[in-house]
Amino acid sequence: MIHNFSLYWRLIGVQIRSQLQYRLAFFLDVLGTSLITILNFATLAFVFQRFGSIAGWNLGEVAFLYGMVEAAFGVMDMLFSGFDPQNFGRQVRLGRMDQLLLRPLDITLQVFGSEFIMRRLGRIAQGLLVLGVAIAMLDIQWTITKLLYMPVVIVSLVCFFGGLFIIGATITFWTYESIEVVNIFTYGGSEMMSYPMNIYQNWLRQFFTYIIPAIFLIYYPALYFLDKPDPFPMPGFARFLSPVVGLGILWAALLFWNYGLRHYQSTGT
Amino acid sequence: MRLFYELGLRSLQRQLVYRTAALAGLATNFFFGIIRISVLVALYGSRQEVAGIPLQGAITFTGLSQATIGILSLFSWYELMNNVYTGAISSDLLKPMSLFHYWLSHDFGRAVGQLLLRGLPMMAAYAVFFGITTPDSTWQWIAFILSLIFAWLVSFSWRFLVNLAAFWIPNGLGIVRFAFILSWFMSGFLMPLRYFPDWFVKLCAFTPFPYTINTVVEIYLGILQGPAIIQAILAQLVWGAVLILAGQLVLRLGIRKLVILGG
Repeated sequence: MIHNFSLYWRLIGVQIRSQLQYRLAFFLDVLGTSLITILNFATLAFVFQRFGSIAGWNLGEVAFLYGMVEAAFGVMDMLFSGFDPQNFGRQVRLGRMDQLLLRPLDITLQVFGSEFIMRRLGRIAQGLLVLGVAIAMLDIQWTITKLLYMPVVIVSLVCFFGGLFIIGATITFWTYESIEVVNIFTYGGSEMMSYPMNIYQNWLRQFFTYIIPAIFLIYYPALYFLDKPDPFPMPGFARFLSPVVGLGILWAALLFWNYGLRHYQSTGT
Repeated sequence: MRLFYELGLRSLQRQLVYRTAALAGLATNFFFGIIRISVLVALYGSRQEVAGIPLQGAITFTGLSQATIGILSLFSWYELMNNVYTGAISSDLLKPMSLFHYWLSHDFGRAVGQLLLRGLPMMAAYAVFFGITTPDSTWQWIAFILSLIFAWLVSFSWRFLVNLAAFWIPNGLGIVRFAFILSWFMSGFLMPLRYFPDWFVKLCAFTPFPYTINTVVEIYLGILQGPAIIQAILAQLVWGAVLILAGQLVLRLGIRKLVILGG
């Protein structure tokens, strides 16, 4: 375990050093990626000025969702970039996967450490900033459980999105090409979870409740943090399912990944 | 002109090869469209009209803006920049036509390809699933098509200009990405600019961004009428001209200091 950790650290350490070579470019990159979050938040603020609220949620409450999802997605995107289907598909196509397989190291660890994108720090910071602004705008009745549950929810979100990346990467073992449909769940999923789930039509919400249970990751925890009533007939513990869903998806994704590894056939390049 | 046509055609043909990719892209754009519609429907609530835009108009807006992602290459365009970094720019410069013209014709073909593969199918899907409004008169249709073409011209000359940063900066992807993100916000891509506060809309008007998507949307939805339409299209032309000139100027400065590494 300790050995694995030090290996991982060495794998990403090289990348951190190389990414910090062009300081100005790095800085602008961080600024650029983080600008998305800030400008999206500005859009939200402007639009709320005009409309007031969305389905009973005010600006602070929506920003709470958005900040949390953004920060979590940023962390995931920094850690799990090795599995980013777009990037991983290219590695498979170019035969770099074979190189990794030849090394006497755990393959999952190698892929995990193969890409670490520092500039995502910008997105994470801005996500946390939006979350901070949201908390300042809201009058949350803090309790010990709420304080403890908050990081759990963020980690669960990271696991969930990471799991989706791993599933997307595994699919490329067969397709050799990232399939864009995966984006619907990763990028589309994060966009969707940034708004209260009660704004979506029944079929869509039910899909993300029973097929891919994303609704429990952030919407239900947010109901708990913000003391909002549940508009749907769900038992009370639904608010605490976030880690179950997050870890569950990650676990299922790793099973699928191992299955895919056993059936991996090189492209021959 | 002949060369423009031929180059555009090649670029279009290349686009048409990737039909499966286009279909997948369409599915993703459509899904995001559904989310954006849900947000707008929930925002409108029981209101029929906000800031002069009726609900059905707002839904049509999401369709139009999702459809233009490909046509105006809204998310990224680094081709020219990459050619500077790889040195391929040297063979581009040897071609018996100006660099701007070469890329302009290339991008025109790309835009037409995206219109056929993603723009029109997207609007058709929207018409089937959500219902969209259409321009009232032939004149409005003509104005809409003209504004779309000029929006592409403004968009391209701006993308060309931003990509020229490659002549000065060794890793300019961040700058271009920055510029693109700014354009989503100020062009009325994320939300129609009408919803935003007046002072911000006035600020945007000093940039070329609103003259891309926002103008197209406002003409299509019939928010602009009569002389306002002509004014908007003229503004697009002026911005197009300004950006093209600026691009030429910057390009000339850039080429002067360009060093191609051999090997």
